[in-house]
Amino acid sequence: MTTTPISTSDTELPAGPGATASNKTKSPKKSKSSASGHRSPWFGRSLLAPVLAFFIALNVIPTVWMIGLGFYKYTLNLGDPRYVGTDNFTDIFTDQELWGAFSRTLIFMVSAVGIEVSLGAAIGFLFWGSSKMPGRRLALTLMFAPMVMAPIASGQFWKLIYEPSFGVINDLLGKVGVDPISFLTDPDWAFRAVLFVDVWMWTPFMILMTLAALGSVPSAELEAAEIDRLNSFERIRYVIWPNGKFILMLGVLLRTIDAFKTTDLVQTMTEGGPGDSTEFVGFALFRQAFNSLNLGYSSAVALVLLIIAIAFTSIYLYVLNLSRSK
Amino acid sequence: MTATENEATTEESNETLVSRRSLFRGGLGLGAGVALGGVLAACSSGDGSAGGSNGDDPIDVDNVDAEDPLRGSNETNMQGKTVEMGFAVLAGWPPSQAAVELYPEFAKYAKEKFGYTTTVKKTEAGFDKLFQQLAPGLSSGSQENNIMISDSQWLGAFAERDWIVRAEDVYAINPDLDLDPYSSLVRKTYQEYPDGSGTRWGFPQMPDTQGLFMRLDMLEDEANQTAFEEQYGKKLPTTYEEFEPMTMVEYEEIFEFFNRPEEGMHGTAMMYGKDYDSFSCAYHPYAYTTGDIWNPETGEVIGFLNTDDHATALEYFVSLQKYQPPGSEANGIGTMIDLFTEEKVFSAMQWLAVGLAMDGDGKLEGKILAVPHPKFEFPDGSIDVIGAMGGQPWVINKFNDDDHMRVAIDFLRWWYSDDAQAKFEDAGGLPWTADKVNAEGFEDSKYYARAFKEMLGEDKSRDFWHLPQYAELLAIQQEAYNKYAADPDAFDPKRVLDFIAVKQQEILLDNGVTDVAIPDELKDITLE
Repeated sequence: MTTTPISTSDTELPAGPGATASNKTKSPKKSKSSASGHRSPWFGRSLLAPVLAFFIALNVIPTVWMIGLGFYKYTLNLGDPRYVGTDNFTDIFTDQELWGAFSRTLIFMVSAVGIEVSLGAAIGFLFWGSSKMPGRRLALTLMFAPMVMAPIASGQFWKLIYEPSFGVINDLLGKVGVDPISFLTDPDWAFRAVLFVDVWMWTPFMILMTLAALGSVPSAELEAAEIDRLNSFERIRYVIWPNGKFILMLGVLLRTIDAFKTTDLVQTMTEGGPGDSTEFVGFALFRQAFNSLNLGYSSAVALVLLIIAIAFTSIYLYVLNLSRSK
Repeated sequence: MTATENEATTEESNETLVSRRSLFRGGLGLGAGVALGGVLAACSSGDGSAGGSNGDDPIDVDNVDAEDPLRGSNETNMQGKTVEMGFAVLAGWPPSQAAVELYPEFAKYAKEKFGYTTTVKKTEAGFDKLFQQLAPGLSSGSQENNIMISDSQWLGAFAERDWIVRAEDVYAINPDLDLDPYSSLVRKTYQEYPDGSGTRWGFPQMPDTQGLFMRLDMLEDEANQTAFEEQYGKKLPTTYEEFEPMTMVEYEEIFEFFNRPEEGMHGTAMMYGKDYDSFSCAYHPYAYTTGDIWNPETGEVIGFLNTDDHATALEYFVSLQKYQPPGSEANGIGTMIDLFTEEKVFSAMQWLAVGLAMDGDGKLEGKILAVPHPKFEFPDGSIDVIGAMGGQPWVINKFNDDDHMRVAIDFLRWWYSDDAQAKFEDAGGLPWTADKVNAEGFEDSKYYARAFKEMLGEDKSRDFWHLPQYAELLAIQQEAYNKYAADPDAFDPKRVLDFIAVKQQEILLDNGVTDVAIPDELKDITLE
């Protein structure tokens, strides 16, 4: 797909512009098998068969089934499926709660991804330029900890931290004379509180992507930029961005899709409340499907979400390809 | 053209090709989806539509075979067999788990009496998830869970889909299992569907009612006694007898007196949470004072749930947050236990069976007074209360094979024996039969038993909906109530009730439960 050189020494985190370059192209060794002679094309295909079987069983069939269900009125505890044509899809357009959830999701997605990318890039650059900082590896490891925690655990963890009567934040606020804040039950705070946890969890991912992007910049080009006395801004614009943009944009894409689907955090922290102030579209879908057992309608909603997620991906890829072809 | 440019062009044209192919495949997928959906409908259409065995004739007891599995085991038909039973229970709720904990005792009984070996495995989930966890399996005819705990609201959904055995049939064949309940509330709440039909589906497992837990040590404290008398000109009550006739308005003085945020202590805690039925059950006693929340006969909600009186009741209930710690909008059973046992609140309106956990593992032992739910003044001037019913019945999976069905019946026979019930009560369970609740010493058996008995009395509590649509109905009101509780100044309580009533009646209309249309003036109501 891409012609952008990406470092192959990616098991090591990049240690900064001054570090010894280790991304020299390795000459590919000829494998014994290819050297020994021609193999039937069926051999390669048969190796793919198990993966393909799993993909079809676990992905294709459920997706097709879901699409089919979208055309039926089917609530698991109310009776058998009844064909309703496109009713479920047209209902989506008049479902105010769902549109409310869409709107909140969009605001959440833009805010979360915006903050995470900005913070992640800033911290990534800091770490990139601090190869000699003592405890760098430990700091990075600790920083990545929120990202590797299960969201359900993070949600519970923060729910306790935010708790107005027992939580540590309100305890500290109380010590400085501030009245307790109901972070998760005050409509003015709940959204921001969930957003903060998402930023806490996923900024490390963007740090990682930034470091990977920076690591993909050929050191020869950086050295040339140094010799040419490019300032920091020029260095980013003419050297780093062209080389690292694919990885960074991939990070943005993954985070966008993930933020769009946010469900687990909301479920553990607020159940979408207070009222519906943190009910994002993923959680609204979850409630329709697994609380109300409204499988027909939720399948239609899921299909619309799938199309939106595909659209996001396509737009990103299109933008990337467009800028590459220029 | 350079090699790279050439490559890029080829790539782009490939992408265009791929897009067309994807489009074609997408279309194929859509078509296949619809077709598969048809298969789905065809596959499932043979299995009784809504109504299920609800309309079946009662079992003809005289013609029931001696080997009918609903009779349970006899001396010969299960000899030497091994049966693993699946129990679905509520997670984190000891009375529900007790059946699994006590199962080895049953296994011993079964081995001695019928000669078979039995073990148990459990499926567990919280109140808000258990039905959802069971429904997919049951809809495919699975007997993974042979005996299941059901919340009372789920009875209709289980029964309409023909997923459970009708208790009425079991009782007809096994009259010894048909025990005399303490009050008709047991039958109405845990057994009957449809309401008033007389057809029973559930087997009572754990009854529960609402009450108020208070800190007795704080009430009896001399300084508090003096200060209260000075402030309100009356004695601070300390006994069950003094509290029992008191109205919520009178209780307010006590909540206000003990509401000392500066000391980290608040007057009370009530449930306003969005999860499951927290808000609904806590609020319903306030609403029941002036009427029901729907009309079970006509299926109407509008005109019942959204009366002006109910709006006043809702406003009053939410206004009581002023005596509670911040964050009460999220209060559910667990938070209430934490607040009370961590001594953050003087009192907590709670399910009485939760008294098991309200002493904080003995930390507050002897320091708690449990009383019935505070009373209200009814429109006729009488002082009384109608609390919400809690608790759960058992239901038996209709897809059980003969062996599992026999063991299920054997288990129920053992479970309702005096010996097993005594062990259940020791494990935190509460009785529901007339002889056990009326037994001498029951009221003193647990510090909350007397209040529980009072609230289980005839017409002292009420359950709501046993409709298959319960999940959707509940979700609507939980969200709207919680929204109001979180920001009462932003909404008119009458509009909140109007909104809930309209949305619920729409669901009931869609499902044929009612044929009463939504009035035009309410049709487009929103809560924004």
